[in-house]
Amino acid sequence: MGVIAQREFINLFKGIKSIIIVAILLVTAYYSAKFSNFFLLDASMEFTPKEAEDIHLFGLLVLILLFGQLFVMGLSHDSINRETHERTSRFLVTRTSRASIILGKFFGIWLFWFVCVTIAFLLTSIFSKKFDVFIFSQTMSLLTFQIALTILLSVLISRPGVTMFLGVILGIAAPIFGFWIEFTQNAWVSWIKFLTPYYYLSREDATFLLILLMAGIMIVIANLIFQRREC
Amino acid sequence: MVAIETKELNKSYGGVPVVKGIDLTVEQGEIFGFLGRNGAGKSTFINMLTGIIPPTSGDYSLLGVKGPNDQVKKRIGVMPDYSTLYGSLTAVDHLKFLSALSGKKVTKEQCLQVLKLVGLESHVHKKAGKYSFGMKKKLGIAQAIIHDPELIFLDEPTSGLDAESVLQIHTLIKALQKRGKTIFMTSHNLAEVEKLCTRIGIMKEGQIVKIGTMDELRAFYRSTMTVQLKHSTIPTGEQRTLYQWLESVGRDLVIEDTNLSITIDDEKKIAEMIRGFNRCKTDIYRVEVKEPTLEEIFLDED
Repeated sequence: MGVIAQREFINLFKGIKSIIIVAILLVTAYYSAKFSNFFLLDASMEFTPKEAEDIHLFGLLVLILLFGQLFVMGLSHDSINRETHERTSRFLVTRTSRASIILGKFFGIWLFWFVCVTIAFLLTSIFSKKFDVFIFSQTMSLLTFQIALTILLSVLISRPGVTMFLGVILGIAAPIFGFWIEFTQNAWVSWIKFLTPYYYLSREDATFLLILLMAGIMIVIANLIFQRREC
Repeated sequence: MVAIETKELNKSYGGVPVVKGIDLTVEQGEIFGFLGRNGAGKSTFINMLTGIIPPTSGDYSLLGVKGPNDQVKKRIGVMPDYSTLYGSLTAVDHLKFLSALSGKKVTKEQCLQVLKLVGLESHVHKKAGKYSFGMKKKLGIAQAIIHDPELIFLDEPTSGLDAESVLQIHTLIKALQKRGKTIFMTSHNLAEVEKLCTRIGIMKEGQIVKIGTMDELRAFYRSTMTVQLKHSTIPTGEQRTLYQWLESVGRDLVIEDTNLSITIDDEKKIAEMIRGFNRCKTDIYRVEVKEPTLEEIFLDED
């Protein structure tokens, strides 16, 4: 598992896509920190004292909320199905367990995002003189969910081209749907909000940890499917 | 000790059986060759044993451990029939990564040694994406043996290689056997199997139809021969008696006018048949005995 995670982690740092995404994260972190006071002075925007205190970090959280799925899918949509499509997975399944492959891929991607988000938060903390562990944990839990969903889709769908297309659609549609379901008054569909991570992120308590549980369930399902998959 | 043991191993696709209840035992230190036509089920069988595809039913064990088992995977080496290498990795990177995955870290020098054994020493820094088919095949063999496994699966290891490379791989396989390794290989190359394998299994339509050493298989097929006779017209009264008697001597009797073909198990029966024809007042003009060729032994359809 460690070898696969290490390879996945290193591979993610190679290539132009990841450089762009890391740059976007860093630029967002920098400017959200730099212009946080500008938002606070804008009378048309109302913030709670807590929100005002953490305003410099909201830029990052909002970025991950809106584009996180798109970023994660863009980079890792083919993490599993590329291997099965090109049959390099044969080298993996003949050497290690299928669960190790799924977990190795998951942790490799997770570690990449952990490093990127940590750097972005550290950069922000230079301006704010503070590292908000709560928002950092919320951001990482959301990313964990998005990574698990990406792995699940990559196992479910065997063609990398399809997951790429689906990644773009899902990356755009998921946050829109998530916010709509969060605020809709329609009783027939509003229960779905409990299945999305957005609901738990809007609460300022530890319920966001349920997002990790949802991610865990998706990884278990991905593993069960992959156990029966031909490589 | 038994290296491979399968019991009633089956694989079906959409209800269509591809591998049908195979029972097989391969002892440690053997080079076991698996022969059969395309689509006979050889690769499906090897893929089940190596964990690439899950069996539909049945059991198997590798090196005494019931599979699929993660610990035993570290003790086996697999060269799949078809696989793309990681295009961005060099040969040394491949070997280091895949060996680490098998739980064994290797040095660059160890990688170079193995690459030399397969004849890839002059291409170690080239990325695998730029390799030719033959070079990919060689790297496929190298990655199967880099972690010094006890049991090695080679699915058509020399197909597509030039004569010199084939010889190099044959030498390597023999050397591996001398070091006590068990090798399970499939091949279309009859001469290769004859040269290398201690035991051979012939697969047809998902089943092993023949199994044994090369000598055992030859002996079996040599005892079967087809005799073709050209004879004079058989007197009307004798025809029925002669044909009935011939059917008791051999099998697959085919009669066309004054030509006759029959399969017998013992060459002594040829003289017996000639005497039988004489008793029925029929002359023999020509006798042709057709023994199976080497190719027919392996690709026998009956």
